[in-house]
Amino acid sequence: MHRRKNAARAVDGFSNRRELLAGIVAATAVATGQDLITTPGKRPLILHNDRPEDLETPPSYFTTWLTPNDVFFVRQHLPRPTVAEATYRLAIDGKVSKQIELTTADLRKLPQQTVAATLECTGNGRGLYRPRVAGVQWMRGAIGNAEWTGPRLSDVLKLVGADLNAAYVTVNGADTGVAKTPDFIRSFPMRKALHPATLLALQMNREPIPDMHGFPVRLVVPGWDGTSWVKWVTNLSVANDPNTGFFMNPGYRFPKHAVPPGGAANPADLEIIEGMPVKSSIASVADQDHIPLAPTLLRGIAWAGEQRITRVEISTDAGRSWHNAELSPQDLPFAWRLWTFKWTPLQEGYYTIMSRATDSAGNIQPIVATWNPSGYLYNAIDRVGVNVEKTA
Amino acid sequence: MKRIISFFGIALLVTCALAQDTQLAERGKQEEQHSCVQCHSLRLVDSQRLSKAGWEKEVNKMIGWGAPVSDRQLLVDYLSQQYSADKPQPPVEFTQTTAKQKSATPSSK
Repeated sequence: MHRRKNAARAVDGFSNRRELLAGIVAATAVATGQDLITTPGKRPLILHNDRPEDLETPPSYFTTWLTPNDVFFVRQHLPRPTVAEATYRLAIDGKVSKQIELTTADLRKLPQQTVAATLECTGNGRGLYRPRVAGVQWMRGAIGNAEWTGPRLSDVLKLVGADLNAAYVTVNGADTGVAKTPDFIRSFPMRKALHPATLLALQMNREPIPDMHGFPVRLVVPGWDGTSWVKWVTNLSVANDPNTGFFMNPGYRFPKHAVPPGGAANPADLEIIEGMPVKSSIASVADQDHIPLAPTLLRGIAWAGEQRITRVEISTDAGRSWHNAELSPQDLPFAWRLWTFKWTPLQEGYYTIMSRATDSAGNIQPIVATWNPSGYLYNAIDRVGVNVEKTA
Repeated sequence: MKRIISFFGIALLVTCALAQDTQLAERGKQEEQHSCVQCHSLRLVDSQRLSKAGWEKEVNKMIGWGAPVSDRQLLVDYLSQQYSADKPQPPVEFTQTTAKQKSATPSSK
């Protein structure tokens, strides 16, 4: 009964026929407990959760520097809200001199910036941790690189006379929890809020941000993991203290000291995650693929949070020898680089291919990722096994 | 004679255990359906591979978040049996394929 009421309310909120149809399908799914996936505007993606959508990009798409919107991964914590631009308001409160609400037109009047930045889910690679941990079992594809356009968050904060000496900015979006699930609210330090690359984006790859990615306004926090990139932003609050809800504590924290795999972390040891460690992934071949005995161009991606990628090395002999890969020309903080490596296997057989990235601060991908109870920030040297076969 | 009795005894025990397993699977599936679908698809649950302690922790967390669980122990037992850490990962599925497969099912009936 309760469930049906929710579903009916969801249908009321939809404005066009396609959304209504998707709503009916979703409502039916809730009523019957079965799931029917509808992903308007997306090519086939790896499905982890039908409702709300958790969709992973097949790594074979990581051959272009910008990831097209229709293959970009999706991670929703809570049911996706539908926000109408006509009624959209961004409310800003706390330590501000003008407590006002802004429309998208107001945001468009501010100088518009475009920043290329890699967005990676904090749990990307969780499925590779052993022992396994609970959560979406992402492998390599909870990541994408896009150009984000909109006003600087710092310009918005100045517009409302925010106290720039306050310690934190807290951000909330239009999504809300079902039952007693906590609301998704994040705080981050003023230092990052004032960074010139931190935006309230209105566009993703020069198009209005798709619904699934936070239409009409999404926070873009370059170099930081996806948890900070709040979607459907409706509230900003300036304060000296961070929010203390679940998604700040204990959610999205990483142990300061390594814990034995499978063990528990001391809660006092858990720190807020700020950024992404150096990492590379192999994209052109998947684990246990069969490939012909012929010259092959291995391809992949490498990124390093707020640092730049300076080197990617490839091994095709399980790490006995390493060779530099070619890097794409974009030598930027925040955005990934593509790498390529020409490989001519000399004979048939099974090969272990590995990739290892180094960043501008000298950090190198580790052999073993630091196991942690929530499976965050997996960044071990990537590895796939391939069978090289003679073709008839 | 003794041997025959013990044979039937063991057979009976095995049958009971199997019946219990089937019953756990059926009742557990219903409990899972009832408890979890309000907030997310069952795919999210069924793709996990956890120890009993891991399932215990997840179920408790979800109860705290308002999951309408009516038999906590049944749910934990069912999930730990069906989706234990040693079970292989489910095969990769893609969005559109699933939609096509599912929409094909009713029309073929």
